[in-house]
Amino acid sequence: MEYAFFLIFAAVALIAAAMVILSRNPVRAVLFLILCFFATAATWLMLNAEFLAITLVLVYVGAVMVLFLFVVMMLDIDFAILRAKLTRWSPIGLALAIAVFALIAEIIEKDQIAFGQHGDELSKIAETGNAAKLGEIVFTNYLLQFELAGILLLVAIIAAIVLIYRGPRSRKLQSIPKQIAADPKTRVHLVSGD
Amino acid sequence: MLQYLIFSAILFAIGLSGLFINRKNIIVLLMSIEIILLAANTNLVIFAKYWGDITGQAFVFFVMTVAAAEAAIGLALVVLVFRDKQTINIQDLDQLKG
Amino acid sequence: MYDIKPLAIIIIISPLLGAIMTGLFGKALGKRNSHLIACGLMTISFAASCYLLYGFLQGKYQPWNRYLYTWANSGGINIGVGFLLDNLSVLMVAVVNFVSLMVHVYSIGYMHDDPGYQRFFCYISLFTFAMLTLVMANNFMQLFFGWEGVGVLSYLLIGFWFDRPSATFANLKAFLVNRVGDVGFIVAIAAVLNYTGSLDYTSVFAQASNIAANSNAINLICIGLFIGAAAKSAQIPLHVWLPDSMEGPTPISALIHAATMVTAGVFMIARMSPLFEYSEMALTIILIIGALTTFMMGLVAIVQTDIKRIIAYSTLSQLGYMVVALGASAYAAGILHLVTHAFFKSILFLAAGSVIIALHHEQDIMQMGNLRRYMPITFAAMLIGILSMIGLPGMAGFYSKDLIIETVAMSKVPGATFAYYIVLFSVFITAIYSFRLLFLVFYTDARMSQDIQQHLHESPKVITIPLLLLSIPAIISGGILISQVVHGFFGSAIFVLPQHDVISEFAVHDFSGALNMFLHSFTSLPVYFALAGGVAAWLCYIKLPDMPNRIIKFNSRLYLLLIDKFGFDKFNAVVIVPIVNSIANICSNFGDKTCIDGVVVNGSARVVVKTSGLLRRLQSGYLYNYTFMMIAGLFVILLWFFVLRKFG
Repeated sequence: MEYAFFLIFAAVALIAAAMVILSRNPVRAVLFLILCFFATAATWLMLNAEFLAITLVLVYVGAVMVLFLFVVMMLDIDFAILRAKLTRWSPIGLALAIAVFALIAEIIEKDQIAFGQHGDELSKIAETGNAAKLGEIVFTNYLLQFELAGILLLVAIIAAIVLIYRGPRSRKLQSIPKQIAADPKTRVHLVSGD
Repeated sequence: MLQYLIFSAILFAIGLSGLFINRKNIIVLLMSIEIILLAANTNLVIFAKYWGDITGQAFVFFVMTVAAAEAAIGLALVVLVFRDKQTINIQDLDQLKG
Repeated sequence: MYDIKPLAIIIIISPLLGAIMTGLFGKALGKRNSHLIACGLMTISFAASCYLLYGFLQGKYQPWNRYLYTWANSGGINIGVGFLLDNLSVLMVAVVNFVSLMVHVYSIGYMHDDPGYQRFFCYISLFTFAMLTLVMANNFMQLFFGWEGVGVLSYLLIGFWFDRPSATFANLKAFLVNRVGDVGFIVAIAAVLNYTGSLDYTSVFAQASNIAANSNAINLICIGLFIGAAAKSAQIPLHVWLPDSMEGPTPISALIHAATMVTAGVFMIARMSPLFEYSEMALTIILIIGALTTFMMGLVAIVQTDIKRIIAYSTLSQLGYMVVALGASAYAAGILHLVTHAFFKSILFLAAGSVIIALHHEQDIMQMGNLRRYMPITFAAMLIGILSMIGLPGMAGFYSKDLIIETVAMSKVPGATFAYYIVLFSVFITAIYSFRLLFLVFYTDARMSQDIQQHLHESPKVITIPLLLLSIPAIISGGILISQVVHGFFGSAIFVLPQHDVISEFAVHDFSGALNMFLHSFTSLPVYFALAGGVAAWLCYIKLPDMPNRIIKFNSRLYLLLIDKFGFDKFNAVVIVPIVNSIANICSNFGDKTCIDGVVVNGSARVVVKTSGLLRRLQSGYLYNYTFMMIAGLFVILLWFFVLRKFG
């Protein structure tokens, strides 16, 4: 039963991921990415990562993907130009990706590993609540990293704002590109002193 | 367990090929990176279950933070590029050419 | 009695301080303050050196040799700044300081209206500093430093009026000729370092006999040193720069190109006597070169018409005397002549300068005449200088020159007999050109224009007082110093092998006090040679004024040869310069342009351009190319990991 669910969600996730990179309309790509995240979140539930699955949906789908969608829609992109065919280099890239996958698969298969070899702690704590357990470790062992992550987010917010911010339009700032581009011939008039 | 690992590997490969196949839109490139990160996170989750240790999940937590920050900065840069060049077509962006 | 160390420091620092203040702050100080500071500090230095000389003459001070500062320590060679003060260097310091002080004072009057007034004082003070460094050095490196220092200052001062093309030509010539000498000097210093492992005088001199016993290196060292000395002291064939150096201001000709710097070579050889004593070959060369210089340059002086050039050639001739004395191992006689020459020659130059100023920068003696009427003090000073130079018994020059002639006669160095006859005959020549100068300038009819003649007057006191002050030692210094010198005043400073020791021989056999030497002179040849010269000049230039022209007609070839200065300049221009030019062209075209510029400089740049041209193709600027590289790298790492697992 569980295996069947996994197969369904995995298939959905993979197809959605493939559509993300294949679709020619970026809005559609974002929507497929959201689908991909949903399906993957479902597989995470089966891996006893309930809190993370919810976070993925809430934070990623709810915030980050919306941001993507927002930007895609905000930018005035001519989609016709973007709808070009695959370029001639893509087979090589594809081959490389497949080769990487093949290597990873080869390495995985060599290791005859399965769940439960080192106990099944996570499914047991699912009874008491995955979030509580995660919170316990994050706020004790990884407190410093947690704080750093918070600072990182703050810095990212400030950075994003600073990058995008255009400044008040009313200010009379000097335009440096304009100054550099100024042509002396049009600025200096040589008066011949006879 | 093997099926999960294969799943994340395929996800990773799709993300990778997305970097190559997509030659036009820089935002789709960012999305490909999100897929790759998702594959990596999935792997962490898988091995957290394998070892029976919640630490792996804590790492996913942090990776997601960094990924969110990266997405925010990346999109800000895309907006800047668009504002400057009036395009986000990757093939037009070759200022780094030596 | 004070300690020597502070005195030494005062002596050497004062001129440097004067140079720094007038050089850097000359504009702010103004003319008056500049010369007050420069002269004041020179006075301090002179007073200290007099005090020191007095102490040494009284025997209250012992030779003092100490390092004060380590300049560099490299490869086991310690290069220090130190001073060696013994009778030789103290006497030299006093002479340098005295002449320098007189020239400082004289320059106040002579350079009065010059726009480069402060610069001039800066240069002469700095020159004095460099000269004192050279004289007081106790190691070869410091000697070389001072040596090059005086060379540079000489260059700057010859070209002091740098807007005159002839001055810049002359200073370049002086500089280049001195470089030739420096090559010899540097080779000699390198050889000294190689064979003794030290640059310190004391330890080098201690090993001199060892080197001489074991190899011919002593000859190399001594000849190298002499080449350096020959350039600085203007000996044939490196003398060509000195007559041209008269382009500089007259006080400079007096200070540098007569009294002090040109004697640096003589001083250096005397200082290196422990080395030269072991090289008979070098001594012979010195003797012959000195004798030739004395004779040939004296002859050239007879036909010159420029007042400063006559004195310049007489300087060359007198330097030849000193060098002959060195070659005969009579170092003390050479130094004595150096001292007396410094006095009488600076008088001659300063008096000539006084004449030149009075005649509004007219230097041709054919445009002078009868000046004794208008300039009695200058005339008196010039007369004293000339009498001293030709060796009138009793004057300073007499004692030193007579000592040289007597000692050369006794010397057994090969070539000494030849040198003896030449220096003896040179006395005659010296008298001719000296009296010719005196007669044509101060006697005969006035030949300058009416305009100038009406304004002729004696020079101001700043000019005449140094002349009078210099006249005193020009008369008495010889008589005072002769017995000291003959009886070993220089002590350990000058080393002479017993078989060469002509001075002692002279002291034992012929010398019994300055007065007896004076009386004895009337029975010896030099005085009569001088007298004959004087009479000849009188005949030619006063009694029978058309005599010179008849002699010229009678032997015009010799005259042309003399006018041509024996063709040294022509020889250099025709032979040496093309050779050097072609070597320089080869170096420039092949060495510089092809090897260094072509291969090393541009070649490395070209390699960078070519390789970067290849590498820049990787920098397409497209993001996906960079990601492709990254992923390809990841793939290679994975592959490596895989291969390790499978086969490792």
